This record gives sequence, structure tokens and C-alpha cells, in this order.
Amino acid sequence: MADAVRSGARAPATDRLTLARLLRAREAGVFIALLVLCLFLSFATDGFLTSLNLLNVGRQISLLGIMAVGMTFVLIAGEVDLSVGSTYAFSGLATGMLIIAGWALLPAIGVGLATGVAIGLINGVLSTYGRLPSLIATLGMLSIVRGAALILTNGQPVTVNARNGALPGVLQSFGFMGQGYLFSIIPMQLVFFVIIAALAWMVVAFSNFGFRVYAVGGSAKAARVSGISVNSVKICAFVLIGVLAAFAGILSMAFLPSGQAGRTGVGLELDVIAATIVGGASLSGGEGTILGTILGVLIIGVMRNGLVLMGVSPFVQELMIGLVIIIAVGIDKWSTRRTN
Amino acid sequence: MTEQQTPAPIVEISGLTKRFPGVLALDRISVDFRPGEVHAVIGENGAGKSTLMNILAGDLQPNSGEIRIDGRQATIASPLASRAAGITVVYQELALCPTLTIADNIMMSDMAARSAVSLVPRDKMRREARAALARLGMGKLDPDTRVGRLSVAEMQLVEIAGAIRQRARVLVLDEPNSALSKRESGRLFDIVRQLRGEGVTVIYVSHHLKEVLDLADRITVMRDGRTIETLDNDGLSEDRLIRAMVGRDLDTAAQWSLQPEARSDAAPIVLSVEELTADGLDGLSFHARAGEILGIGGLPDSGKDTLGEALFGLCSRDGRISIDGKELRAADPHASIRNGMTLVPADRRGAGALLAMSVADNVVSASLPRFSLAGFMRRGAVRREARAQVARLDARISHLGQRLATLSGGNQQKIILGRSLVTNPRVLILHEPTRGVDVGAKAEIYAILRGIAGEGVAVVMISSEIPELIMNAERVLVLRNGRISGELTGAGINEEAILARAMAS
Repeated sequence: MADAVRSGARAPATDRLTLARLLRAREAGVFIALLVLCLFLSFATDGFLTSLNLLNVGRQISLLGIMAVGMTFVLIAGEVDLSVGSTYAFSGLATGMLIIAGWALLPAIGVGLATGVAIGLINGVLSTYGRLPSLIATLGMLSIVRGAALILTNGQPVTVNARNGALPGVLQSFGFMGQGYLFSIIPMQLVFFVIIAALAWMVVAFSNFGFRVYAVGGSAKAARVSGISVNSVKICAFVLIGVLAAFAGILSMAFLPSGQAGRTGVGLELDVIAATIVGGASLSGGEGTILGTILGVLIIGVMRNGLVLMGVSPFVQELMIGLVIIIAVGIDKWSTRRTN
Repeated sequence: MTEQQTPAPIVEISGLTKRFPGVLALDRISVDFRPGEVHAVIGENGAGKSTLMNILAGDLQPNSGEIRIDGRQATIASPLASRAAGITVVYQELALCPTLTIADNIMMSDMAARSAVSLVPRDKMRREARAALARLGMGKLDPDTRVGRLSVAEMQLVEIAGAIRQRARVLVLDEPNSALSKRESGRLFDIVRQLRGEGVTVIYVSHHLKEVLDLADRITVMRDGRTIETLDNDGLSEDRLIRAMVGRDLDTAAQWSLQPEARSDAAPIVLSVEELTADGLDGLSFHARAGEILGIGGLPDSGKDTLGEALFGLCSRDGRISIDGKELRAADPHASIRNGMTLVPADRRGAGALLAMSVADNVVSASLPRFSLAGFMRRGAVRREARAQVARLDARISHLGQRLATLSGGNQQKIILGRSLVTNPRVLILHEPTRGVDVGAKAEIYAILRGIAGEGVAVVMISSEIPELIMNAERVLVLRNGRISGELTGAGINEEAILARAMAS
């Protein structure tokens, strides 16, 4: 499976599917690690291998996954976005406040997504025409957007419910987006993640835009000389992750359904980058696939879930996640150096 | 050959001038390139060839002068505009995406021309890339291979394949064969001839005179930022080309080498090198005596650029290197310094200087143990030594705490020289000692080097600037293909002799 997808996403493609080739695909390592982890957990715990738990894992990883898909574009393009946690908070809170103010669902969500677009545009313009390293530009935006969210909410928690003024019909649909189940079993958050990941996979692996993102991240000079507008490709990638972070924030607001500017999504950008990196994207650009990112998100999600099921303390969980990041990227670097 | 009629030029350059701060890189040059010709551009290092190519590529803008394309006045404002005008420049530094496949790279311009919201036609790309490779006789390369895995030569051919596919009307090959094997360059020449037959103009920048004579229809010789002459390749010889390339007026330069006393012939040998082999070097043996300035010259791919690092131990090497009879076994810069060897590298910004640190810190940075006590810097001693070096080298600084980055190139170079001198060297190796240094400071640095040699240090000066070798060295070794192709002494050191040994076959 890994290879079939890979070949779309510029792998040494062959028409024949051999085991050796499967193992050589870049996602193979992550996939095997995930498989081993799942096998171990299904023996070590009672609750892991139940459809209820697996769907639960699916819901838990969805918001992280939606943002990691966006981050994959940015990392392939050779940039990074540290402001996603703040965007997540700001856009979710903005949509929540509009719903409380009696807005209809779609306009409220539309404005929330528009804030994501705006933040992405600012990030993109600063990192291209503004000539700032994206690490710096988005670090600044991390603070600015967080500050804006605090000002917007006056630091108070925002809770979406009928008592605060939300219209009942709107409240119901909004709640369904975050808490509902498709066919009464599949969490809506997971549905959104799957749709977004599938679309993104097609864009990255098969579209001309996806090709441009790889070209820009692989060598900006080569891309420029070929006539690709490096700046607009990068700005598009930033807008994309801005929108996806905003959407994840809105879903989170719909799920909980509350948020607080000082707490929501703090530090989330690091989880998102970690999952993307574990999935094989590289901070130096030109590398990464949506499939890899999904696997990276799954590894972190399954790991968290498994540790909870095994009753491991949350403190140790943090430590284990850190180890996974270092080991996963370490193995990857080690194995690519060996094959080169 | 083509006496009957001369076709209208496709690119015509007249009165083109490009000025960099302190340097006139192109001085009112004029040259025209005709359709269906192979037009070689030759000249020494610094003659202005690269600047001209960069202007054609749209990377640099001229200060004045005119470029006409197809008879119409044109500005080549960007690399993209250059490509749009049908000009493709294949650089020595390649413009390829190492993370993408060969097919992706060859087809990148096609992808850029299509809508961003279209599908990537992988099969078509693979097919067309394979065809483009086959035209270069590279049909056995798998178009799905990542470019990062290829050899430099293969990458170069991939870039040429991409250029050919785009139906370039003017193909500029900048030193294309420095990385190619004999077989690969043979194939490249076939391609060049084939393209000429199809009406493509090939501008061929090269140091290899034999190839130029084999391949070119016309040859333009550049020197000191001027186009000296454009010759029809009809009955020309390597000698004729070399004579056109030299002719610099050196009478005003005090020629150290022509001074009567051959002072160091009897001096003891300080540096002795036997069978030195490293990347680009193939079994060099030579020596340098106390008080001697030994010049090393050669083309960029002659191995001269790795010699300094190999001697100093910055890269792995084989062979025997000894200083005053004591062999330096491992390739270890620390051991080299301890045993009296020191290097002033060519890349001042990258490898040479601690630009963000002060003058004083730079002066002592190669001799820290002498200036520290129990892990603390002996600030007083540092300042004394720095002050002494600054005075000796006549470096113009405002104070010892000044950051090196704020100094001019010449003064930076003096401070780096000072750092080398603080180590009390027996052998001082300089790589491009006056690169990026203005004329006045150059003369001062030369005087300093003579003074250092006069104190009994063996000075090895590796330089691409032939006048610099002629003015300073008592003996010049010329490298070619990693070997010593000639040794010149005294009055035998002249531009023609050096160029002939560096270039001619």
C-alpha cells in the first residue's frame, strides 16, 4: 500500500510491486513502527483493539491531523509555521463569539476561516516579499495572534450554549460538527479529517500545484529559473495551513464547546510539526508526503492512547512522545545516509 | 569557413559595462552571437567571462550598454526573462532540485507553463524525459531516479537535457566539462555539434584550449573586462590564443622574481611534500625552502584549490608531508599548527575569519592555549599581541574591539594574516591571498609577505591571479589535472609560460 501511494508522490516508481521496494519506500519505516505499536498494544491491553477505541483514537487525532496536513505543504515548500496554535485559538473563538452573538452557522464559520486565510497571507507575505525567515515571521505571528485573541475575548472563556445567546438551530448543527457521529458511529471530526487528507493527498501527489510545492522546496533557484513563481507557491502553502488551522480550531470549539484565549491550543504547533516530521517531512524542504504525515499523526495518536490504556502517567507520556520523535527521525536519517 | 555570408546575429552586445564596487568587471565590451554557431569565450580568471554570462542569464544587470536580441533592443531583467528570450545558461553550480526525479527536473519548465490546477502527467513526463536523455545518449538513466543521487556529471547532462527540451535558441555552457569524464565530454561535444546543425547558438566558456579549437566556429578572447578580439577558428593555434589572452602591461610592477640574487637556493628545505594525493590531486611532490615565496598556479579544476586544505590537513590525504624533516602523519590542522604550518584560506567569509568577533579575538584565535590561563583568556596578553600584529601589518582599525565584519577586505585579510603569524609558522600557506582586496592593500600585503619570507618562513602562495604569482614568487609550480605540469623560475616566470602550462595540452 505504501508503495502504491508513494509512486504517485514521486518515489522511484516501478510497475512491479516487490517486497524490497515496499521496504525501501520512505513511509515503510513509519508504517512498520505503527504496525508493531498496534500489535504490541493489542496484546498488552484489553481495550485497544476494539472498534470503539479505534474510532476514539481517530477522533482524538483528527484536529492534529488536519493541521499536520497543512503543515506538510509548508514543510515541503521549505518553510515552517509556528503560528498554527494561535490561529487555532483565534479562529475558534471568533466563530464561537459570532454564534453566541446570534449569527447563522455558515457566516460564523466563514468569518472564522477568513481569519485563518488572513493570518496565512500575512505569514506568507512576511516570509517571501518581506524577506523574513518563516521561523521568525511565524514566531512573531504566534504572539500577535494570541494577543489578538486575548484582546478579542478580554481573556474570558467563551462558551457556546443557548444561555449565552446562540440560536438553537445553529447550536445544534454546530454541535453536530464537533460532537456528532456519521451513521451514529463515525465521529464527525474523523470524517472531516479523512476528507481533508484525501483531498490534500490528491493535490500533493497528482496536481501541478503539488509539483510546484516540491520544486520550490527542493531548490528555489531551479524553480524560479523554470518559471515557477516561488513566492506565490509559498504564500499559497501558508494560506492553506492558515485555513486548516482555523478549521481545526472551529471544530474544537464545536466539540468542547468552549475555549479560552490564554489556554486553547497553546504549544499545539510543536505537536503538529512533530507529527509531520515523524511522517518523513524534512525541515530543509522538498521532502514529505501526505501519507507519511497521516502515519506520523497515527503513531503519536496511537501511542498516546496506548499509554493511557496501560495506565502510564501523563508525565511519562510526554517523555515517551519526545523519544518517539527523536528515534523516528534518527532512524530515518541513519537509513537514508546508509542508502546514499 | 563561412565566408559567403554572415547571418544576422541572434544576440548582439555593444558597449556593455558592469561595475562592481571598486572593480570594473566589464568595460564597454562588444560581441555578437550568430545562429547556428559554436562561439567560445576564453580568458583568464577575472577576465569578465562569468559576469557576461550572468548578464545573459538575467542574474546581473549591466550599468550601461546595449543588448539586442533578434535585432531588437532588449533588457534581460530576470532569469525568467532570459529563458523567455530562448537563452539557457547551464551553470557550474547547477539549478536542479535534488529532491525531485530526473523527469521532474527536465520537465519543470513545462510544468510551470501549465495551470497549477491541472494533473501532473507522469507518464508523459517520463516518456519525454527519456527521449530527452536518449538524445544525449543517456538513455539508460532511469528518469525516476532522484537527482540528488546522481554524479555531478550526470546532473550537468540532466540540466542540458532540460535546456535542449525547451528548444533553447542560445545555450550557454559555462565550463561544462570540468566535472565530466572523457567519455561524457565526448558525448557532450557530439550534442553541441548536433545542436549547431539545428541552428542553435552554443556559447561555450572554457579553459580547455584544445577543445575550444576542436569545437568552436568563432572564439572571443576576453582580458581585464574587455573583449580583445573575436577570431574565426581557421588555422588558429593554442599559442595564438594564449598570446591573445596575455599582453597585460606588467612593466610597472616591481618583479620580485627578477631581482638579481637568487637568495634562497641554498637555504634549507622547510616544507617537503612527497606523493601528495587527495581529492583532485594526483601524487604531487615538491618542496619549499626557508625564505622562499613559492607560487602555485593552475586552472580552477587543476587541483590547486584543494592543495591548501590538503597540506594543512583539512581534508583526508595520502603521501608524506614534513616540516623541517618532521613528518606530519595524520591530516589534523591542530598538529599542522603545532608543527609550524598555517593556512590563510581563500574563503575569508566562510572559513577564514570570525567575522562577528573582534580584531583582537581573531588575531589570537589560532593560538588560544598561549593566551589562556586555567581556562580564562589573558586579556592583557591578547591585547598586547593584537596591538603588535596590527602595528606590524599596518592594519587600519579604529580599536582592537572592532568587529572584523566592519573592516574592509584588505584589512580583514591583514588580521587573518596576523592570526597566522601569531602561531610562529615555519610554513605559511596562502590561498588567493588578495581576493576581494583593493589595489592599494594588495601591494601592502605583498610587501608584508616578502617581509615574512625574509624572516626565513617558507611562503606558499596559491593563486588564480597570474600577475600576483609573477610579482611575488621566486618559483612557480603550475598544476594541471592534479599534477605538476611545469616549474618556472626567475625570468622564466611570465604570463605566457604559466598559461601555456596550465591550459595547453
